[in-house]
Amino acid sequence: MIEIKQPIIEVRDLVVEYKSHPLPVRALDAVDFTASADETVGFVGESGSGKSTLAMALGGVSRSGVRPSRGSVQTFGRDVFALRGQDRRRFLSEDIGFVFQNPIGSLDPTRRIGHQFFTPDGQPLNEKRVEELLSSVGLEDTGRIMASFPHEVSGGMAQRVCIAMAISVNPPLLIADEPTAALDASVKTQILDLLTELRARARSTLILVSHDLHSVRKYCDRVCVMYGGRIVEAGPSRDVFDCPRHPYTAALLRSIPGFEGPGGRIEPIPGYPPSLNGQASNCTFAPRCALQIPVCRENRPPVSVEGDRTKCCWLPGNEIGMEISQAGRGYHA
Amino acid sequence: MSIEATMKFFVRLRRAMLSDTVSAVAAVVLVLILLISIFGPFLPIGKPDQIGFGPRLGGWSWSAPMGTDQLGRSVLARVLQGIRVTFVLSTVSVAIAGLAGALVGISATYFHRLADEVASRTADIMFAFPPILLGFLVVAIFRPGVTSAMAVIALITFPTMLRVVRASTLSVMRRDFMLVAEISGVSFVDRIFRHLLPNVANVIVVQTIYSISLGMLIESSLSFLGLGVQPPAASLGSLLRDGATYLEIAPWLSVGPGIILALSIMSINLVGDATRSFVDPTYRF
Amino acid sequence: MRGLVGFLLFRVLSASVTLLGLTLVVFTAMHLIPGDFTEVLVPRGTPEFRKALAERLGLDGPLYWQYLTWLKNLVSGDFGASLITSQPVWKEFAGRLPVTMELAVLSVATSIAIGAPLGLISGLAGTGRFVSAISRVFCGFTVSLPDFFLGTIFLYVFSKYALGLTVGDFVPLSVNPEAHFRGMALPVLSLSLLGIGTVAAVTRETVFTLSDQDYVFAATVRGRSMSQIVRRHFVRNASVPLLTVISIYLGYLLGGSILIEQLFSLPGIGRYIFQAVQARDYPVVQAGVVMIAAAFVLTNMLTDIAYGVIDPRMRAGHEH
Repeated sequence: MIEIKQPIIEVRDLVVEYKSHPLPVRALDAVDFTASADETVGFVGESGSGKSTLAMALGGVSRSGVRPSRGSVQTFGRDVFALRGQDRRRFLSEDIGFVFQNPIGSLDPTRRIGHQFFTPDGQPLNEKRVEELLSSVGLEDTGRIMASFPHEVSGGMAQRVCIAMAISVNPPLLIADEPTAALDASVKTQILDLLTELRARARSTLILVSHDLHSVRKYCDRVCVMYGGRIVEAGPSRDVFDCPRHPYTAALLRSIPGFEGPGGRIEPIPGYPPSLNGQASNCTFAPRCALQIPVCRENRPPVSVEGDRTKCCWLPGNEIGMEISQAGRGYHA
Repeated sequence: MSIEATMKFFVRLRRAMLSDTVSAVAAVVLVLILLISIFGPFLPIGKPDQIGFGPRLGGWSWSAPMGTDQLGRSVLARVLQGIRVTFVLSTVSVAIAGLAGALVGISATYFHRLADEVASRTADIMFAFPPILLGFLVVAIFRPGVTSAMAVIALITFPTMLRVVRASTLSVMRRDFMLVAEISGVSFVDRIFRHLLPNVANVIVVQTIYSISLGMLIESSLSFLGLGVQPPAASLGSLLRDGATYLEIAPWLSVGPGIILALSIMSINLVGDATRSFVDPTYRF
Repeated sequence: MRGLVGFLLFRVLSASVTLLGLTLVVFTAMHLIPGDFTEVLVPRGTPEFRKALAERLGLDGPLYWQYLTWLKNLVSGDFGASLITSQPVWKEFAGRLPVTMELAVLSVATSIAIGAPLGLISGLAGTGRFVSAISRVFCGFTVSLPDFFLGTIFLYVFSKYALGLTVGDFVPLSVNPEAHFRGMALPVLSLSLLGIGTVAAVTRETVFTLSDQDYVFAATVRGRSMSQIVRRHFVRNASVPLLTVISIYLGYLLGGSILIEQLFSLPGIGRYIFQAVQARDYPVVQAGVVMIAAAFVLTNMLTDIAYGVIDPRMRAGHEH
């Protein structure tokens, strides 16, 4: 039986540009993306690939307050960037939960943790409910934590507090922007376990932004690999990581310990990430790609869909992993 | 910090300053005020001490655009002399005390914990005296006059500069490149002159600019109370003091010096802000 | 709780050291005045009288002894007597202190009441060229216009035209409150222009810094309204930098009010000390300088303690 999932998030042709001198920086370059209910989607890529910008855009927000210059984001059927005032606040507070990279910085340093929980309309949450929330994210000594200031608890605890805040209204969409990047390795797994467990229980959608490919492979149903403001490859995370179809994905995996396969070598990707100035009308990865052909530097590659996998590359063929590996070796030899 | 690097710094600073309207206007006003006050003696506006240049307490006229005072002297000529006195007095005191403060600040912080403790304690104590009150103390010892005014400005500048430089030196010393330089065997002198000083210099430049305007304010406050520059010499503050006597019948005696004083202080402050935002990009207007 | 107690102790101790230092500075300064100190104190006294005075004040002993005696007298509230009126200095001060305090409190209140909203609005308006230029020129102007010049302008305008606010004759609050405040309005306005500009500039800068904080962004994406964010996060977090400038401003007011009290003939401490300087009434100058500087140190100590109350992180790292 084929289950057809109705998408709850639909991003169409999204372009986001940051003001910069002399040329604007294109953080997202014509991105298409969909997600459905009850799944975990990972966004991976290097710093500056646009993964955080895309994740924030799903809720219609951005750190610098910049608005898309083209395209649309529909989340739960609403055009999120068109929402204004009360509607927007209601949508943000009831339908989405956010979890950020720096848990201690995400809490007001001058208020006790127990006093930082609010209802969707902004009233202080009653203590009993705060206690419930805190124990639901696996915190034990709830009374003490509620009476503490953010700098008095550990990073892992603070991140649990932030998760408790995010799920306080049972939002159908949870966006976690590198939630473990600032945490110790030992705490990392606990936080990701917690996030995915909470998601599964609520049958909601979790967007996990991360540069840790191992976590994404383990916790995410699907993954979007981003490069230079574009999604270069997407698909079920195990398939994508075990058998990459885009040269960048392959190169990225080869550059990280643990994916090189038996007898394989870890190889850095040559060159530097693109500067993202202006609108590149070619493949942004071409200058670093070991398999580039002339057309890569000329025209923007098409998006090809095959089953549940998409990629954005000029090269034909699907089982590209081996070829790339060998070509990559040749490149370095 | 070679001469070439310093020149480059000022060229880039000038470019940054002229690219912003407010800073550009402030810089131009400042330069104009300084130029006019330098070339004042050569302008056909009478000498500052020329009694009977015009009518006594005469208002605006072509030959005396700011009016004349109780002895018939041209107010404009006196204002130009006053700005010169106020500016030079402040600059000289700030240059001496600021340099001393910077030196003590850097060396105390860099070399010795105890010296640092003593220096910053002293700064704390000096800080507790409001400028005018410090003026009272100094005047009680030395009698009113130019020396006292300069001493007061120096006593205010020194601890301020010391504090600012200390904070900056500490933060530079904590930066990794200082450790790297030490480990990789860069000589002590080079570490100070090539790594520490250029990074603290920015702060010193900015603080010096602010100190000059503060010094001008202190000088004119003291002179306004009659504790600074003594007649027949005049500074902007003492002109304002004279003006206050005749305020009801000859307000122009106060207006001219006051506006010029406020304009100079404001343009120096704005130039200081511009310099600060130039050397510290995290500072936003 | 140990953190808080340690923090308080450290602040009090540190202020005491500064206080001790400043008495030493004043003592040294007064003894640098050329001539025998009893001669400085009572220039026209007979040698016998001077000798008696020297004995009473402990001036016949070695310098450190003199200092300690003076310090002991200070602590026990004996500030000496005015040479002109022969009244104990503390009595003279007590009558004048309320005027200076009132000037300071009203000026600070005015600065916050006008400066903070201005800074908040301009800060939320962002760093656009136009807003920046306006705020820079406004703050630059308020900070640069010498208060005694502004006072002079007020004096001229308000004595020439009857505009409702009075200049020249001080009416005590107890005699006629309305006339009292009419007379205080102009001095307070002259003094608070600087405060308004400073508070506005710092508030604007703080709004920028706070807007970059993760917890403010987090509050925004959780759907909090701007007014909720300002009330819940800005007010408390901005009070630390605001307290800093206000304590510096207060220190300035303690000295700066001298010119304004003089200009508007207000019977405050500043004017009294200034008259003492002119009359070479050294005991008054000495006591006045110590008192005002001490007031400033105590203000700073209270500010430091307030930091710790507002921002719990400061208690933790109380070693500076």
